[in-house]
Amino acid sequence: MSKSQHDRTHHAKKATRKGDPQCFKGEAGPAKFKVGDRVRIKDLPDIFYTRCQIYTRGATGTVVALVYESPAPEDEAWDNTDKPEWFYSVKFRQKDLWPEYHDVYANDTLETEFSERWLEKA
Amino acid sequence: MATSDENAHGSADGGGPRTDLKLVALLETIKRRGRVWEDLAAQYGVTNPDPPWKVALDATCDLLAGDSLVLPTARVVPGSCALPGVQRRAEEDDLSATIYADVPFPERQLLALAHSMIKHGLLDEEELARRVKLVHERLNSA
Amino acid sequence: MSNKPHEHKPAPMVDEVSDFEALEIAVRELAIEKGLFSAEDHRRWTEYVHSLGPLPAARLVAKAWLDPDYKKLAVTDGVKASLAVGVDWINSPPTGFGTPSDYCNLRVLEDTPKLKHVVVCTLCSCYPRPILGQSPEWYRTPNYRRRLVRWPRQVLAEFGLQLPPDVEIRVADSNQKTRYMVLPVRPAGTEGWTEDQLAAIVTRDCLIGVAMPKPGVTTNIKRPVHPAVHPIHHDH
Repeated sequence: MSKSQHDRTHHAKKATRKGDPQCFKGEAGPAKFKVGDRVRIKDLPDIFYTRCQIYTRGATGTVVALVYESPAPEDEAWDNTDKPEWFYSVKFRQKDLWPEYHDVYANDTLETEFSERWLEKA
Repeated sequence: MATSDENAHGSADGGGPRTDLKLVALLETIKRRGRVWEDLAAQYGVTNPDPPWKVALDATCDLLAGDSLVLPTARVVPGSCALPGVQRRAEEDDLSATIYADVPFPERQLLALAHSMIKHGLLDEEELARRVKLVHERLNSA
Repeated sequence: MSNKPHEHKPAPMVDEVSDFEALEIAVRELAIEKGLFSAEDHRRWTEYVHSLGPLPAARLVAKAWLDPDYKKLAVTDGVKASLAVGVDWINSPPTGFGTPSDYCNLRVLEDTPKLKHVVVCTLCSCYPRPILGQSPEWYRTPNYRRRLVRWPRQVLAEFGLQLPPDVEIRVADSNQKTRYMVLPVRPAGTEGWTEDQLAAIVTRDCLIGVAMPKPGVTTNIKRPVHPAVHPIHHDH
């Protein structure tokens, strides 16, 4: 059986009736950050498609929720096992993301998710 | 961190191969000659906003993506899915902004899918052309 | 004059086969023949996708407006709350563990008079399909995806929604496995309404966050897709 077939069956067995990302619950170990922490988005080199948007790189936001555990989409190619990470929902002030965002709308925010590897304490 | 205009848009731009924008003759023919749903629906007085094949198209896109939507292209185990979702969507975006820009949706999505599948070697253009002709004959032979 | 009461006019049908219709079938048939997926899987997926629409999400909102406990559940556990409106994120898709593009982590974003949510997926237009159906075309365009995160007030104004500066507009970008829907503020003028009446004014646009529910408004805006005013630079 080719590796690809094995992987698909494996995921189905693991996730059926549990759901994805629910099936990874408990696998990421202790979370590095907690709700309320100020975090900065690292500017890690993009070798492949990434799901960490460029517009957030280097920005600082606040963790508003620990949303789930899951393998990170950017796992290095040489990892044999997907090691799930904690995923965080981080809220930013729009003014901290876009230099020209109007002071008049200083209350506006943006919320999006990151896997743990993208975050460092601010 | 100042974001230059180049990076100002919200999409992910890390790596990934460039979309092959070279025209596919079969698809250019269909684009030129094909009647889009907007026109057909108006002509026949049908109020459905989408053509009847839209749902089948979406199912095809889902099935080709397998479990790939979150994985980057280079991480998708070859054979585990035919056309990763992120890649297909990125190509659809590029194609919709360029060679299929004047085609309405969802015809544009369909052309982009066929285009991607041909460029990635999942379908052969000649074979597809023959099959399109065959399907036409089959459906019109009632 | 012949007067045939109850004459049944058949529903109009498109009576010709377009090249696009033939192309879709051809692509699908060849894909099946090459083993990219099976005909059986495709049939089940088509049935599943066909069954999806925005009504369950509208009912979730209506229920939440009428029942504070349900609202609390909706905000803390969207997947569990979805069950009450007939949507099983985990078990009803053909896979038994969620679909590859939708996953199983619905978050319901609660608006307040001082907080307005609006949803986007900048990466590829992810959308809470199981409870909201297929996304509208404008949601999928780079025009919307790239502009909403940076110029939300301009984009919302194009939808006819303008909010004062003291209202926080929060853009939710569903770039990972979470899918979002908005729980808008219940509008005035709906006192004593039934769940059905309330659900009728919660349109798809309200659930994405580009519109606010209003008594009497039960349809979505037919929004022409404009080219982006701010240029989109392709990645080079």
